[in-house]
Amino acid sequence: MGDYVWFHDVSWHASYAVYFFVIGILAGLSFMSYGSWITPALRPLREKAAYGSIALLALGGVLLIADLSQPLRFLNILNPGYLNFSSPLAWGALNIVAFGICSVLYIMALKKGDEAKGKLLALVTALLALGLPVYTGFDLTVHQSRPVWNSPIMPVLFVAMAIASGSAVGSLLAMGNEEAQKVLRQYMLWSAGAVAVMLVSVMGTTNYGGSASELTFMIMTTGTMGLLFIGVGFLAGSVAPAVLLFAPMGKSQGVLMVSALLILVGGAALRYVLLMAPQQLQTLF
Amino acid sequence: MSEELRVSPIETRGVAGKRRFAMVVDTRRCIGCMACQVACKAEYDTPLGVNRTWVPYKVVGKYPTVKKQFLPRLCNHCDDAPCVRNCPVEATFKVEDGGFILQRYERCIGCRSCMAACPYNARFMLPSHRTYTPITNVVDKCTFCFHRVTQNLVPACVQTCIGRARVFGDINDPKSEVSYLVATNSTQVLRPEEGTKPHVFYIGADRNATEFGRDAYRQPEVMELERSAFKRNFKI
Repeated sequence: MGDYVWFHDVSWHASYAVYFFVIGILAGLSFMSYGSWITPALRPLREKAAYGSIALLALGGVLLIADLSQPLRFLNILNPGYLNFSSPLAWGALNIVAFGICSVLYIMALKKGDEAKGKLLALVTALLALGLPVYTGFDLTVHQSRPVWNSPIMPVLFVAMAIASGSAVGSLLAMGNEEAQKVLRQYMLWSAGAVAVMLVSVMGTTNYGGSASELTFMIMTTGTMGLLFIGVGFLAGSVAPAVLLFAPMGKSQGVLMVSALLILVGGAALRYVLLMAPQQLQTLF
Repeated sequence: MSEELRVSPIETRGVAGKRRFAMVVDTRRCIGCMACQVACKAEYDTPLGVNRTWVPYKVVGKYPTVKKQFLPRLCNHCDDAPCVRNCPVEATFKVEDGGFILQRYERCIGCRSCMAACPYNARFMLPSHRTYTPITNVVDKCTFCFHRVTQNLVPACVQTCIGRARVFGDINDPKSEVSYLVATNSTQVLRPEEGTKPHVFYIGADRNATEFGRDAYRQPEVMELERSAFKRNFKI
């Protein structure tokens, strides 16, 4: 009582979580588009996923630039004279630009109907898309003083969430196509399961960490954050879809759609909590 | 600091021929007058709601033996600064001679990565409107008064401290006052577990103020009420 506490603002606000969500879906869609060259069942998704991916890239780019307090200086990050390669943001910016260029070339190849070039560009685009959730994960991992963020599991978790969100959107896009849904069910089931397992691991290591970690665990598992993280993200967005899809009824169209929606809502909640909760503790330090 | 403890090539503490400025804050001498905060505000026209240096306090002890424990805070000018590593455009950099961690305002894109990286909350975003200074919408921080130190003056907060709670000097110089104080007193740094090698040393800092306690856990809803009350007149 009577303490004079200086309140600090969190560094990254909710708009960054929206960006994480968008970039996860677009990476997942890019995987689906490349998958269509290997798995014929996904063929109906090829163009839809490629277009969706580039549309979301435009949205994500706008979000990212608008989030800067000096939006017009975003070109600084592409200036070779300024680039600092010890920052994951620098790598991320290069990755996004390379992904954008390859996506445009890929769509041009699809329009021309050039199969050989299309398959090669799909592979390159998917590899660059893999870099997007990896860099967003690293973006958090490198902050040594933040519990939860400073964990090697973050890039892997973001990749799993990208596959889950991408296949969920793919499932909604391929509505009515049984062959595609069969494959997408597998993707959703195993990626949602992997996300659930990793979240248990994150919660375990956080709860058994130092005092900062323990306090962060308390913030993440109680109140509004707890509802979003445990309720929406973990139970409704990861465990429930994995159970639903694994059950015998998991092959029906209705369950697939419900699971896809749950994964998307859960993915958004998880990204929000993973971004905001570890920042909460330090606002009082 | 011994050579064995030096991890990164960026570190300059104890390197012969290089200066490494540091501050010693003797909390036993701090009376909480906030003159340092005011001097800093005056020196830099720091806007309302943000501070390069600030003096929070905690009431410690049990009635009737209670006291206010002040903990003057500022950028720790770390020897291995995470903000320098994390800035994507090298807007944040370390001055090799002196160890100052400075900011290039014209280069900063405002991604706030340095703010997220700093374990000490020493960085803040400048608001879009300022009365006298045209530097806005970029990240700012304490500079250890680089412009004063290069003119052989001490930082404004050190100059103004009436209790001489703040002492500034070259810790690589064994004859300096900071070297003497660090060598002859038991000192603490904030969050040493982060490996940032901070160069603000505290004498007599209370652990209640330097470590995360259960008090740091608040329900976000409750905290939001207090925060909005605290910042009710502050809009970026």
